[in-house]
Amino acid sequence: MDGAKATPGRAVGAVDLYVSAAALRLAILALLPGLPVLLTGRVEISTPVTSFKRLQEGLFLYNHNVSPYDGGVYHQAPLFLPLFSLLPSFLTFPIFTYLLYIAVDLLSANALWRIAESGEAGSSARFTSARREKRWSGFVIAALFLFNPFTVATCIGRSTSVFTTCAILHAIAKAVSGSPFGAMVALSFASYLSMYPLLLLPPLILLCYDRQRPERATKSGLKFSATCVSVVAGVLALLFQMSYLITGSWEFLPSTYGVQLTLSDLTPNVGLWWYFFIEMFDSFRSFFLAVFWLHLSSYVGALTLRIRRQPLVVLTLLLGIFAIFKPYPSISDTSLFLAMVPLYRHVFPLMRYTFVIAAVIMYATFLGPAFYHLWIYAGSGNANFFYAITLVWGLGQSLLVCDLMFAVLRDEWEVERPEMVGKEIRQI
Amino acid sequence: MPMPNVRMLGLPRAGSYINRLPLFTRGILAAIVLFEALCLQSWWDVRAWGALVPEEIGFATLYRANTYPFIHLNVLHLIPNLLALTPMLERFENEYGTLTSLALFLGPFSTFPAFLYVGMEKWVFRLNTAVMGASIWFFLLAGIEAIRTYRVNPRLVIAGQSIPTWTTPLVILLAIAVLVPRSSAFGHLCGLAVGYICGLGYLKYLAPPEWALRWIEKQLNLLGRLPHYVSVDQKTYGRFGVLPLSNLTPAPVVSAGLVGTSALRLRRDPRVLKLPPYLSLLCVLVGVAWLFLLPLNDYSRRTYISENALLPGQVHTYFSGSDQNVFRAYKHEVDALVGKTNTERNDKLESIVKGFGLKTARQNFTYQAAGHSYSGENLYAILQAPRGDATEAVVLVAAWENAKHEINRKGIPLALTLLRYFKRWSLWSKDIILLLTPDSIAGPQAWVDAYHDAHNPSRVSSLPLKSGLLQGAIAIDYAQEGRFESVHIVYDGVNGQLPNLDLINSIVNIAGGQMGMGVALQEMWRHDDGYKHRLRTMLRGMLKQGLGLPSGPHSSFIPYHVDAVTLQPFGDGWQDEMAIGRVIEGSFRSLNNLLEHLHQSFFFYLLMQRERFVSIGTYLPSAMLVAASFTIMAISLWVKSGQAEAERATVEAKTETAPAPAVERDLFLPLGVVTLIQSFSIVPLYLFNHVSESMLTPLFATFTLLNVLLPVLLSHLLTQAAAPTLQQYHLVKSFSLLLLGMFLSSLATLNFSLALIIGVLASPLSFARPAASRVTRLVTTALLSAISPPAVLLAGAAYWGADVSGVLREAAVGWHVCGTYSPVVVWCVWWPAWLAGSVAVLGRTGEGGAGGKEKTA
Repeated sequence: MDGAKATPGRAVGAVDLYVSAAALRLAILALLPGLPVLLTGRVEISTPVTSFKRLQEGLFLYNHNVSPYDGGVYHQAPLFLPLFSLLPSFLTFPIFTYLLYIAVDLLSANALWRIAESGEAGSSARFTSARREKRWSGFVIAALFLFNPFTVATCIGRSTSVFTTCAILHAIAKAVSGSPFGAMVALSFASYLSMYPLLLLPPLILLCYDRQRPERATKSGLKFSATCVSVVAGVLALLFQMSYLITGSWEFLPSTYGVQLTLSDLTPNVGLWWYFFIEMFDSFRSFFLAVFWLHLSSYVGALTLRIRRQPLVVLTLLLGIFAIFKPYPSISDTSLFLAMVPLYRHVFPLMRYTFVIAAVIMYATFLGPAFYHLWIYAGSGNANFFYAITLVWGLGQSLLVCDLMFAVLRDEWEVERPEMVGKEIRQI
Repeated sequence: MPMPNVRMLGLPRAGSYINRLPLFTRGILAAIVLFEALCLQSWWDVRAWGALVPEEIGFATLYRANTYPFIHLNVLHLIPNLLALTPMLERFENEYGTLTSLALFLGPFSTFPAFLYVGMEKWVFRLNTAVMGASIWFFLLAGIEAIRTYRVNPRLVIAGQSIPTWTTPLVILLAIAVLVPRSSAFGHLCGLAVGYICGLGYLKYLAPPEWALRWIEKQLNLLGRLPHYVSVDQKTYGRFGVLPLSNLTPAPVVSAGLVGTSALRLRRDPRVLKLPPYLSLLCVLVGVAWLFLLPLNDYSRRTYISENALLPGQVHTYFSGSDQNVFRAYKHEVDALVGKTNTERNDKLESIVKGFGLKTARQNFTYQAAGHSYSGENLYAILQAPRGDATEAVVLVAAWENAKHEINRKGIPLALTLLRYFKRWSLWSKDIILLLTPDSIAGPQAWVDAYHDAHNPSRVSSLPLKSGLLQGAIAIDYAQEGRFESVHIVYDGVNGQLPNLDLINSIVNIAGGQMGMGVALQEMWRHDDGYKHRLRTMLRGMLKQGLGLPSGPHSSFIPYHVDAVTLQPFGDGWQDEMAIGRVIEGSFRSLNNLLEHLHQSFFFYLLMQRERFVSIGTYLPSAMLVAASFTIMAISLWVKSGQAEAERATVEAKTETAPAPAVERDLFLPLGVVTLIQSFSIVPLYLFNHVSESMLTPLFATFTLLNVLLPVLLSHLLTQAAAPTLQQYHLVKSFSLLLLGMFLSSLATLNFSLALIIGVLASPLSFARPAASRVTRLVTTALLSAISPPAVLLAGAAYWGADVSGVLREAAVGWHVCGTYSPVVVWCVWWPAWLAGSVAVLGRTGEGGAGGKEKTA
């Protein structure tokens, strides 16, 4: 909220918005005391690498001077442990933990607000959309993020992915406001917490490069990116060193990033990996792990090259792709993607399947828990039920990614060829 | 305006493409295939004869320079070459004419690459690799095309790097060289080189002069004689000539036909928009008709035992003889307890059970619902399995009062006698738990919740004594004095969940097959196995399932995945309590045999007779169709909301160039209205579940009255405040129907009957549309009011002779005690959908351009 006041002219409604979002979360926590426990246990919200329950387990071990990675339950970054140890105990004063999560959500919204106000989505350094006039203010975009049910559920479910979300949004916000160093530091934090944000580095470097402040701009792209990469490497090294000092061994590397890379925990989630790797024969496992990771990372280069002129679009699309294809996705990743999508209000008229996408995502949202119930509790369904719905969920999101990409490319094309505005096109 | 060209979809289009292939292309393709066919025989090695082998090229074997493109290594080589070559060749021939193509391809286009290749191979590389195949032509043509593209569009920009377009065939060449084994990259390169040279125009002199071609054509009348012949005059300027850019004055319809895909055209067709209401109606009708087909022999199935371990009716039952005397004694004891308090009864019963030498325990519970307090004390005893390890248990339940509040006069003594009898046997591999509860709903619920540690400790006390995993439960409800004729199996669980069909089948098998007594389901005391009785049984089952209320002591077990039924003897016959005792003994012996939880048979089924059922695969489509009808309407309204505006735009500004195909929809107001209406639903849900019973009737009356006025009020407020357009009303309805369809299809997987009932009752909402005149508006509103949730509740209660407040109390009890979710579905799914539908019907559009549209919509 300090950030909201820091920039004059933007404070209009900011405090109201943040207060009401915080009040909504506190009201839910106060009125429905059973809900946090329920949501924390939901596989849609808590994955093995973000679960609050597992964090508590790790915290317990850590506070009793046992390595938190003993027992193979805790797979999260070591620096969470001192952070949560500093808070009063969750069991006696849960309110402090809640306040931390709410504050993180508000910080994310604030970063999003700054991204929206920068206007980067409509007019970047190398491209200016003809439609950029039609956009939503930072207030609307922050509100859409804060009151998105997925965001609220993630916050109430206390998934630690909110910290990653916050770091990613801050990295982008720093990048668009012309401070590459801050962006790189924030991205390093995000990568340290969840690893996959490291893949956002190439488009983020481009974004930083495009949005440099003119008075201290680096002309050479190579030099600039080398500096950025070394900043990220340096900060990550520092964080790893701190983690090493905290846990006393390098054990955390295989337990956190190793788990993501090798998918050793096959708890069901909304992603597409777990079912494949449950079914798979062990001899093929390493091959398919490589294929899956390669697939996930292959989008980075391709999109960065193709949509070079709008790096923020690349970041948005990549966040959508990660929410579908990363090893342990949750609705938190979807909420981050959905938070970025409204920035492209100006290309919404060019999107073709908005209704279908909304319907598919909503159907999956309701059918997912129903089928999970049939599988786990009622015993009358099986794993295929839930997996089928996660496929639909992935389909809905990939439709949104494709449609947004189409709209953005069409927008670029219409600027290049103004005579084609409004004409229907088809693939040749 | 001329009619658009014949519209073609994908498949016919491919067919027509093949039909339009010109003559020379056909000839070449036929020749290639013919040569491949010739290769099949063994006496003449065509490949050795025709391949281009550098060492063997001499003056007499120069024919090889012409034949090699026709010959292929094998079919796998042939097919991709044909597929790649055909479009290129077709394009070339259409451009230059058949005669030119003939002259070029049989001459220089074969021999030039061949000589280039042979020369290089022989004198530069000193190798001798034989080549064959039409891919050389492909690369030649690709080279020509690339040079031409390069002239029009010299550079391709990818990520800021501009790449000359003439390099594209090289990329293909490299890709093929890397990916396809045994491909001759050098041979392809020769073809490509000739293609580049030709494309640059250095080989122009090779083409026969046009006057000569014209002369030949005229003399031989080729155009008239040969089908698919491309004349010199007919030839076009190539595909690039019809680019939209250079086509300066395209007729609008034709350009739409050229540019729009078939799907896009379909979207524009006004007929498509008229279709959804009929489609939706068809879905509802088929869904309901489907239901009425189910009782027929062709659609339902005979039941069968899936789990072989059950072996129902395969053991001799010994419960009789002296046990009858024991039963009479216990009956006297129990009769003496009538009128005593719960604790006094439990004291006496506990002393009896303790007398068997079993461990007993008690549990207190208190529930608050509809202003009443449901409290009591459960008593239970555990018979440790002599041959088990206390990991599994089967439950025998006897409630002091059954669901109709009759005292279980014979059930309690029978349960005691059975337990005493079971104690004597040494064959039990699972613990047997006897549960005696003061009532049929709250008591078992409290016990099962506490058994699984899912209870609220402030209301239900924990169990001091526990056994293993519950594998099954059978409840006895034997309130009638005297003998009985048949046994009635009650199997509905809370929220429409059902026990595994194998359990019911086993009991039917034991009671009907072994003991020779009748079995009835769903209070169908007489069943002739005809269509009518089957249908009635099924509908009763569906109604009970849809209400989701507990129907007996067994109901609470089913949500915990413990298969359970209640057995109720009924009728006037010659069966005595020993007979029902033996049925229970047989069933327990079957359950005792189980090696794992019942899982083989169905959990989702509709029973229509004791030996006839339909499984989920057969009946689910009907609920899904009904749910789909809402989604169809939602989608059509969405499309319509975009279309109506577009139409208006064209009407208003016909002279404007190219109206935008999709008009932006104003989403905020409709979304807000739907969200608001959805959030209203908390009010009735809370009120009806938290008001005391005496207040229920006045509350319901007030609510019903207000409910009639609410849409009018809401619509008035909406018109005053926001003056929504017709588009926004369409969107309100679209969103509300989408939500309804979504909820119902999710619900159909959990509770089929409830989803179907709500779906059918709400189906008129899809067809209600904003009324034009005052009279129709009034009529529609009245009709909609008749199908509002309170009105349906009232009508249903009147039809079944039930008291509305009683129904509401039951619902409140189900909600608080058993976690029945039917009230949520009624108040949070159905009611808001109804309200939104009514508001959309009453909706008056605001002033302005939309006002005129109201009549035509």
